[in-house]
Amino acid sequence: MVQDAGRPGHMHEGVPPGGALVPELLARANAAARNAPGAAGIESFGALSLEAREDTLVAFDDGTARPLSAGASLTIACEGARVRYVAVRGGIGVPELLGGRGTLLVASLGGHEGRALRRGDVLRAGDAPGVDAAMPAAPDLAAPVRVVPGPDHRRFPDEALDLLLSSSFVVDARSDRVGVRLAGPALPRLGSDSGASSPMVRGAIQVPPSGMAVVLGPDHPTTGGYPVLATVIARDFGSLAARPPGARVRFVTQP
Amino acid sequence: MTLEPFGDSAWRVPLATCPDPRALLDALRSIPHVVDAVVAEEHALVAFDATCPPSREDVDAAVGRALGPVTRALGAEHTVPVRYDGPDLEEVARETRMTVHEVVVLHAESTYVVATVGFLPGFAYLRGLDARLVLPRRSTPRARVPALAVGIAGPYAGIYPFASPGGWHLLGTAVGFTPFDARTGATLALGDRVRFVPVPP
Repeated sequence: MVQDAGRPGHMHEGVPPGGALVPELLARANAAARNAPGAAGIESFGALSLEAREDTLVAFDDGTARPLSAGASLTIACEGARVRYVAVRGGIGVPELLGGRGTLLVASLGGHEGRALRRGDVLRAGDAPGVDAAMPAAPDLAAPVRVVPGPDHRRFPDEALDLLLSSSFVVDARSDRVGVRLAGPALPRLGSDSGASSPMVRGAIQVPPSGMAVVLGPDHPTTGGYPVLATVIARDFGSLAARPPGARVRFVTQP
Repeated sequence: MTLEPFGDSAWRVPLATCPDPRALLDALRSIPHVVDAVVAEEHALVAFDATCPPSREDVDAAVGRALGPVTRALGAEHTVPVRYDGPDLEEVARETRMTVHEVVVLHAESTYVVATVGFLPGFAYLRGLDARLVLPRRSTPRARVPALAVGIAGPYAGIYPFASPGGWHLLGTAVGFTPFDARTGATLALGDRVRFVPVPP
């Protein structure tokens, strides 16, 4: 589906921040296409075949680019990666809605007709002028993920944070843009979830009654009722979200 | 004022009372370097770029002003026509020991106020539900509630802007109302007032 740098400034309308699941990888594909880091590109969770209608330059999150002449095609597979990004010179030219061009599935908003791409869809390249920027680093998928504890300390026993920081978790296959689900030890909680919904952020580690943590992703509901044990710092979210199902995750507090 | 760190890119502010949530939201959104602000009933949130946070003093001052004595401006008023054809009408009537007609009259008689916008784009938690209609959420949520379903849960009424899973009791369907528009955003804003008007099936 088409994704860009997101739709900041609309959370008070219930619109989540959005943006690429792994912003660093979209920025790498864009840098290779000489686009701005947050230009709209294609976020792909499976195999993707593209055929050029006109001569264009196509770029990938490994930092490479290649010209694709009219009629030529290419296929990109995920090959063990969680997600891959493809950029074209000038960005994907879908309309900007509420400050972004990305797809928000729950609201059928943005991207290409508000939905994931299907076979036969035709996308236009935008006409943004080329920019030269340094190639951003790819996220380190083995690094511990840094968190800030809280903010719902009082809804957990003390040992919950210790357990989060001392355990190894595994990315669950049911993860999506709404949340990264983690398999691991059940995290204990205090009390029930009867209070009013509170504002949420990307990276919040929510603990539902099952004790199985969910790290909220870019398309998270803007409010929620489950307590948040700790929150992944902004620059480490991509490292977590880029891990494929089955990959290991350890958390550390931000030094 | 307590600013609770919520990751490295947001602060959460506990709200004991908030006489004018809309004034607080507008004040928070106008602070330099605040990218996003949300005001719910128990907490407010300001989100920002971790490398460029707003000043804590600005946030403190905005919260202090909004929690002090205020002249409360009335929000916009919306009239929402409702066809009372919801699948849970009879169950709600049974559980509240009323007739379906009484449930409809009570639901349509109140004036509601938008207390929080969240959950889905354009979804408003509406306060003002008659106490006789307060019921816990359904024990088993539906996998799919249709767009424009009008429901109640706990002390709230609401309108689903999009089809979604949901645990609310469904009383009817909003007619000729657009909760969320791709170009203009959410129709209902914090502090707005809402009235439901029954229309024939």
